[in-house]
Amino acid sequence: MVALNTRPSDTFPSDTSQSGSHLGRRTPRRRWSTGAIAGRVTWFVVTGVFLLFFALPVVWMLLAVTKTDSQIIRGHPFAIGTWHDFTQAWGNLLNFQDGAILLWMKNSAVYAFGSLAITLATAIPAGYGLALTEFVGRKLLLTTTLVVMIMPAAALVLPLYLEVNAVHLTGTIWSVILPLSFYPFGVYLTYIYYSSTIPPDLLAAARLDGCSEWQVFTKIALPLARPIIALVSFFSFVGNWNNFFLPFVMLPDSQQYPAQVGLSNLLAASAVFNTSAGTENQILRPELALAALLTILPVLVVFLFSQRALLSGMLAGGTKG
Amino acid sequence: MRTKMVGAIAVVGAALALSACGSADPAPAPSAKADQFAPAAQDEAGEITVWADATRVPVVKAYQKAHPEAKIKLVTYSGNANGATDLQTKVQLFDRTGNGWPDVAFSATLSDTAWAAFGDKPYAAPVDKVIDKSVLDGFAPGALDPCKVGAGTYCVRNDLAQVVLWYNKKLLDKFGYTLPTTWEEYQALGEKVAKEHPGYLVGTAGDPWAPEIYLWASQCPASTVTEAKNVTVDLKNANCSRMVGMLDKLIANKAMSKAGVFDAGFIKNQASKVLLMPGPSWFGQVLFNSTFKIPKGEIAAGAPLKFASDTATYTGNVGGGVWYISSHSKNLKTAGDLVSWVTTADEAQANAVTYPAYTKAAALWLTKQRDSGYFAADISPAFTQAAEQVWPGWSATQYSQEAIYASTVVPALNKDQTIASTIDAWQTAITNKATSLGYKVN
Amino acid sequence: MATASAPARQATGVRGHRKPNRSGYFFVAGYVVLLIAFGIGPTLYAFWLSISNSRGQLVGLGNFTRTFTDYRFAAAFTHIMVYVVIWLVTLMVLVVSLALMLHGRMHRTSAALRFLFYLPGALAGVASVVLWLILLDPTNSPVGFILRAFGWDSLATVILPSHLPVIFTIIAFWTGAGGWIIVVYGALNSIPPELVEAARVDGASIFQIARMIQIPLLRKWIAYMLILAFATGTQLFVEPQLVSTASFGMIPDGWSPNQLSYLYAFQAGDFNGAAALAVDLLFIGLASATVVVFRGGLFERE
Repeated sequence: MVALNTRPSDTFPSDTSQSGSHLGRRTPRRRWSTGAIAGRVTWFVVTGVFLLFFALPVVWMLLAVTKTDSQIIRGHPFAIGTWHDFTQAWGNLLNFQDGAILLWMKNSAVYAFGSLAITLATAIPAGYGLALTEFVGRKLLLTTTLVVMIMPAAALVLPLYLEVNAVHLTGTIWSVILPLSFYPFGVYLTYIYYSSTIPPDLLAAARLDGCSEWQVFTKIALPLARPIIALVSFFSFVGNWNNFFLPFVMLPDSQQYPAQVGLSNLLAASAVFNTSAGTENQILRPELALAALLTILPVLVVFLFSQRALLSGMLAGGTKG
Repeated sequence: MRTKMVGAIAVVGAALALSACGSADPAPAPSAKADQFAPAAQDEAGEITVWADATRVPVVKAYQKAHPEAKIKLVTYSGNANGATDLQTKVQLFDRTGNGWPDVAFSATLSDTAWAAFGDKPYAAPVDKVIDKSVLDGFAPGALDPCKVGAGTYCVRNDLAQVVLWYNKKLLDKFGYTLPTTWEEYQALGEKVAKEHPGYLVGTAGDPWAPEIYLWASQCPASTVTEAKNVTVDLKNANCSRMVGMLDKLIANKAMSKAGVFDAGFIKNQASKVLLMPGPSWFGQVLFNSTFKIPKGEIAAGAPLKFASDTATYTGNVGGGVWYISSHSKNLKTAGDLVSWVTTADEAQANAVTYPAYTKAAALWLTKQRDSGYFAADISPAFTQAAEQVWPGWSATQYSQEAIYASTVVPALNKDQTIASTIDAWQTAITNKATSLGYKVN
Repeated sequence: MATASAPARQATGVRGHRKPNRSGYFFVAGYVVLLIAFGIGPTLYAFWLSISNSRGQLVGLGNFTRTFTDYRFAAAFTHIMVYVVIWLVTLMVLVVSLALMLHGRMHRTSAALRFLFYLPGALAGVASVVLWLILLDPTNSPVGFILRAFGWDSLATVILPSHLPVIFTIIAFWTGAGGWIIVVYGALNSIPPELVEAARVDGASIFQIARMIQIPLLRKWIAYMLILAFATGTQLFVEPQLVSTASFGMIPDGWSPNQLSYLYAFQAGDFNGAAALAVDLLFIGLASATVVVFRGGLFERE
């Protein structure tokens, strides 16, 4: 365990100003010394700056869907548009290839949830096994996983394509779902989680009590895994949802495109980026911004769900000192 | 443990360094030989897969409606627009597995022929073996040049983007100027405008396609393919320097902008100040009408300019799309039929967004443009004239001239350097890129 | 398969003297199948590609020397090294600091802030092209006043070559930081609150608590983040590709080594050269990973 330096807090500004005394106080009382105020203000300023940094561009996008393309180029960036322009942009977007964007999102959902299911079924037990059981080849597996994670994806495209083609799966949804369900990042997250939060003594006690390995896993490790399942699910879902290159390579039929591939076609069909696209389809900046916002909606919903599970699980964690 | 690992790596490395059974140089792709084209087993009732971009989807659907017996599977893709290489990427993968090629594919990148007609089993079929010669002869002279490799033609041109001299008639009349007919007059007018009406523009140099407008028209040999993969790159040629000199002068006195026409800043602040603008035929509707929102009755097109010392007038070309027929197709008849229909039928091309490459359809297209009433004067003479004057010496290479100009010259322009000062770097960039893609540069 | 019910003698509670049992294989089995099919298999094939030519003959290090002498190689690797230094420092410092700051008190504000910090991360490459096209153009960008303050009045002046490493860091940080903040925040939750409380009672300041308790206990997570950040940094692809599309090609298409590998594979049709470049990047990533694994104790268990 780390040794605690019990020094009086007069050298650094502190939240709880306890000038000097550090005996017997269990519930520190807050006094608003200049140090505390300075600390508070710094906290607000810093978080405020970063809040603007992260959120401002998104605010711009939200406003952009209510304006016309001309207003976006010529007007003030944060001018608010009209409901009419918003419905106009919405209509133009849905008109594109007869509502293709909805089809793309449905496809994305199928691929993302499909791979997520397989990922959870394989990554959670694997992380547990790597962290809390002992077997020959454990370190080898960890190393290999790391190596494969670091390999640049561009070089793996051709072999993956050849492989999928060899088992005649090209053009089916499995050509996307199966490779996506390979999620070493999730395995590592689970491994780190289990190896740093569950003391082996807990498991040893269970084993001594007569539990089989499977029971140890299902009765102890799995219930404690809610936060990590939430975390891995979230990242896996987002990674799958946002993956462009794999579906682009594997899917020959535009009816199967997920949102990311569809979006890139939308971009290529827009007069904003493609000077030979002509002026008929009316996909300009507002429609592109709307399409982008639509495609991130599911990600944000999943985020909100998983954050609740994450937080509640962590607080109920059974870690013993 | 660690020293053992390091030792093992060293041994493997040494073994690799010593072992070399073959040459590491990538095999150069031989160009297609039209007379060696051997079609696959044909099935005239089979389904064909057509890859088209969003803009061409309606015309493929129109073909299906007009020919209900044809079985067509339509796939929408990016069309290789704006530098995308989707078709090439996918065809590379299909080549490796031996299946999956689309029977017909549209591409917005003219230079795709530079890879599609090369290799042991090139993707593109020689269209002159699939489509009637009489049909191919009906295209504007030079329209099929980017498709030609050796003796064969490997794609069919969908539309032209011949460069004409766009001008704002209202402004021109207001200032009392006459439309220039030579580049010398153009330069003189630019200098006059800079003095008398500063802020008004006669052109832009910041677009990626600026070389295709100016240098192409000046017959500059920036990339002239002599055969298969031999290319001449000579930016120091007199034809190049005369145009570069003119551009630098106009940029220096601010009659020519360093920005690009699609820059948000340009659209906002300078769109209404465009007096003259040499540019491709699609500028009319896409740029002036939709993007700049110039009102009706102001914009017109003049014939391309020539240098006084030249005997013939030449102009450039910025874009255009092509249709490929797959050499692996099992239904060449339907594929060929579809491609000829979409490029030549009045129904398909009269309402196209860009100027049709097929002469007869182009005439009809021009009537429709006239009827729309947007332009201040009839654009047909300028368009038809320019369609026949595109200089054949600017080749469609596998590398993009636009990308090289945008990444080499435009940044220099924005650091307040002249184009002339970048010629060496520009030439080296073209040569390097060409060599990396297997060309032999002289 | 799962062991029978006589495990009492198989496992011991004494740290470090665990006997290997076969149940471990069962737990990792599903993952190992996927690993071989979609990880090891393709990686080995890529290795093979990097040491052979298109006709299937072994060429030793030929592809590596050939790509090394490519006119874009030196530039690409220089670009990426500059970028990685800026990127790593920015990411590690800011992510850990922000996560610590969010973890202090005020849980509901913290949750809202975490959500907002994460928001950009949901905008993957293609979706954000539109956004960055406008953001980088000083005329109508929401942050135009900042760009104009630097004296840049057009998109072209903003994306001049010398500015690119910083611009890409900003874009990559904007999209990537949120996710890592969540991971580190979650990791902070796993530190027993009694430790922090006890330290606070003893008078430690928040800086001391962070420095002496929280960060050391987060060692593994930070090590993991470092490895991945280094790898994703050296493999930068999306951001330069995005700015290239948004600016109609004003930055060269082979700016980063990963882009160069992509060009080799799909523009020049040279999968062997592309694989050689990928292996270069892999070794660089592995070198750093080895350092971090051994010094950060990533493979050890408590």
